[in-house]
Amino acid sequence: MALSVGCVVAPPLSQTAAVVALPFVGALLVPLAVRVAAERAGYAAAAVALVCLGLVTDLWRRGVHGTVSAEWIPTLDVAFALHVDGLALLISFLASGVGVLVFTYSAGYMHGEPGLAKYYAVLLAFMGSMLGVALAGDLVALFVFWELTSITSFLLIGHYSDRDSSVRAARKSLVITVAGGLFMLVGFLLLAWAAGQGGEPTYVIAALVDRAPELRATLGDVGLFVPTLLLVAVGAATKSAQVPAHIWLPDAMEAPTPVSAFLHSATMVKAGVYLVGRLRPLFLPAEASLVGAWTLVLAALGLLTMTVCAVLAVQATDVKELLAYSTASHLGLIVAGFGFAEAAGAEAGAFHVLNHAAFKAALFLVAGIVAHEAGTRRIAELSGLRHDLPITAAVATVACLSMAGLPPFAGFYSKEFLFDAAYETAHAVGGAAWLFPVVAVVGSVFTFLYSIRFAALFYGDRPDALGTVHSPPAAMLAPAVLLGGLVLAVTAAPQAFVDGLIGSTYGATVPGEAGGFSVPAPTKLSPPLVMSAITIAAGAVSYRGYGRLHDGLGGLLAARPALRANYWYDGAMASLPWLSIRTTPAVQTGLLRSYASMAVGATAVLALAGYVAAGVALPVPPGLGPGVTAAMAVVAVVAAVAAVAVVRAPSHVAGVLTLSILGSMLAVLYVLVDAPDLALTQLVVETLVLVLFLLVLHRLPAFYGEIGTARAVRDGALSLVVGATVAATVLVTTAADPNDVLATTLSERAGLPAEHGPVLVDWGGGGNVVNVVLVDFRGIDTLGEITVVAVAALAVLTLIRMRDRGETP
Amino acid sequence: MSAPDDERPPSPYDRRTTVILRTVTRLVVPVTLMTAVALLLQGHNLPGGGFIGGVLTVTALVLVYVVFGGSYLGETLGASGGLVAGYRALFAAGLGVALVSGLVPLVLGGRFLTQAVFFVEHLPLYGELEVATALAFDLGVYFTVVGALLVVVAEVGAE
Repeated sequence: MALSVGCVVAPPLSQTAAVVALPFVGALLVPLAVRVAAERAGYAAAAVALVCLGLVTDLWRRGVHGTVSAEWIPTLDVAFALHVDGLALLISFLASGVGVLVFTYSAGYMHGEPGLAKYYAVLLAFMGSMLGVALAGDLVALFVFWELTSITSFLLIGHYSDRDSSVRAARKSLVITVAGGLFMLVGFLLLAWAAGQGGEPTYVIAALVDRAPELRATLGDVGLFVPTLLLVAVGAATKSAQVPAHIWLPDAMEAPTPVSAFLHSATMVKAGVYLVGRLRPLFLPAEASLVGAWTLVLAALGLLTMTVCAVLAVQATDVKELLAYSTASHLGLIVAGFGFAEAAGAEAGAFHVLNHAAFKAALFLVAGIVAHEAGTRRIAELSGLRHDLPITAAVATVACLSMAGLPPFAGFYSKEFLFDAAYETAHAVGGAAWLFPVVAVVGSVFTFLYSIRFAALFYGDRPDALGTVHSPPAAMLAPAVLLGGLVLAVTAAPQAFVDGLIGSTYGATVPGEAGGFSVPAPTKLSPPLVMSAITIAAGAVSYRGYGRLHDGLGGLLAARPALRANYWYDGAMASLPWLSIRTTPAVQTGLLRSYASMAVGATAVLALAGYVAAGVALPVPPGLGPGVTAAMAVVAVVAAVAAVAVVRAPSHVAGVLTLSILGSMLAVLYVLVDAPDLALTQLVVETLVLVLFLLVLHRLPAFYGEIGTARAVRDGALSLVVGATVAATVLVTTAADPNDVLATTLSERAGLPAEHGPVLVDWGGGGNVVNVVLVDFRGIDTLGEITVVAVAALAVLTLIRMRDRGETP
Repeated sequence: MSAPDDERPPSPYDRRTTVILRTVTRLVVPVTLMTAVALLLQGHNLPGGGFIGGVLTVTALVLVYVVFGGSYLGETLGASGGLVAGYRALFAAGLGVALVSGLVPLVLGGRFLTQAVFFVEHLPLYGELEVATALAFDLGVYFTVVGALLVVVAEVGAE
């Protein structure tokens, strides 16, 4: 395992893009595969993941490092960039490698389950999105893939869509993660804005990181540095289930267990910590003070999550619930690690990403085996499983000891780094900073407790209530064993893994140049070692009271529901329908006239407000110019009289007829001002409208009802405002004379040039300028308009047909 | 204006039209349709175009609706009952024609909705004939307008 440092290869665009694109192509082909191979389609999906893993391994082996980009939306300075470095490769390894195992495991676990095509397709699409998040080189691509992982996660959590609890859990995860993603998007836009202030606007992460000091200064000057940091942190925290957004993760365990292992332990929840690591060099100056905004926000958030979720894991009653809280807790550890400005912090974060993925994915697969073979996931009902599941028990033991942070297992080293960072920070800063190491130790004690509790499922006496426990199929056992082997491998040779990949992962998360670190052997008594000793001793002592602790915490949370974040989430969700029910009657009156008033009133207000905001001066019309003839004046007067008559018409028939007089007068006016096309259109439309009115006339009441004075005044005022808006719009738009450039260009280009070849592209070639504008120069507008006409017809069709089916009142 | 006594007339007007109206309609509708097509075809050089031609066509057909009743047109065209489906297909086809006429230039290396003018020379009788690709787009507009408006008329008229 040797990385040829110094010989840096730029990433090949096609190969890197293929890593991201392949799973999506696979997802499209899954329905076919399921039809052909039924349940064995899982192996086909595993093969796709294996190809991705191979491509990622090849990128890693060749020492690829850097950004490639392709044009995407150049007008918005958005490029589609892919970035390869240690961090990207680590997450890609997890996504594709755990992907191979999970697809293989699924082939056994999903035996006889419905909806296999949907399951594998969405799972593959998720893997592609996750690889996209890992390899995205610009913020927009990152955001798109990020939200794609949220959506695929939503679909997978709600896989059993006929279960209420699944649907609720899926919705909860979607609401929380997507809402967080939107905060993050605003943060990204602020970063891009800051980049545009002092130079080229860009979304490419590498370019932003290169200019990090300048961006921090720009944002700091306008007081937006901390808000930007917070916005991005909200995105990361919701995705990585940090307190108080951790509540979606335990609910997400409604998903099939392979999904929990893949999305909700090894990969998707890592997107948040990935983001923290990725943007760390952007927000954290190289010569940072030990406790800056970055550390205050993220180290505090991470340690809080680590402790709170470890406590919650102790009170969990379900195997997967315990693992879910434990996942949130370990994500907190990683966030806290990246949060510390100390080098050891980033080392802890980078190393623990690998360690956690290995032991937690293994434990989820173990939980799946237990649930599948023993038929229950309740911790209280499970014990002594090592008699029935000896290999599973061995895997679980190794993984649990690593999770507990016991030496010499892999998890011990990453926890040591965290203790080191916390202690050094506290030592240098003093005062309240001593809370960092204290909270870290408290959280670790609880971590130790639940880790041992999970391992204890396999030891002790086998309860009689437990029925027959079968041996798991090889497809389910092999992935778990492989992950257990990975834990052992990291345990045996931590330095090799650091040199191979984690070192460059760490390098990607620190400002400036850094390429590796060394894993110290615990030979001499250092403060972190003492902290570990305290953790283990306290854990071992208090484990005897685990039962009382578990019951006490459960009782406390039951007695004081306001302590749970879920209480507030449920309250907020329940208030939404309440709000909707209260506001709907005011907005949705069911009366056409109130909708019409709202629509035209809002249009008028928006237009007028736009003019006022833009400071448009109302041009005074230059009086009746020489262009106005007596005939025009007569026609205009007749039209005005007809308009008054429409309003005063005693019946519908009279109203429709007078309206048609008004329309015809307008047509005559068009003729008089030399606009034959307009006149034709006006006449034809007028005729058609008249006939349509005749069709519906017998449906309407014969007479208008009496209206009250108040309504007459209100409607009259609205009419005047709308009329004034239209008049102002006409005056403003016609006063803006673009030096006749437009008119002359159009009329010149519409016709034929004096000399021409057999084919003309630049010229309209028509004598009717209006029509040439419609079909040629502004053809795309016309296309939009006929689309509107078609949609309107569809709407009429749908409304009338739906009424026949009783779907509308 | 009260509805006739029977349960659901195809249109409330069909039995109340006079011989004069029916005769005039027979004469006027073909002329109107010819005019509409002429407006469509000459639109590039003279007043007219797809939209005007389409609306005029619909007006002529609505006249048939009003005077001869809703089912007459379907019976005459041999598509009794399925007429609305035909209208739907018509506006879908119209949109399709307009869209495809915009996409063809993309294939040929131009930009979306680029229109060209071809000159076919040395034709017997005509000499030189000017063919604008915009006509294809205008045909799309025409069919969309005719189909969509007839759907509205037929559905509202059937109420």
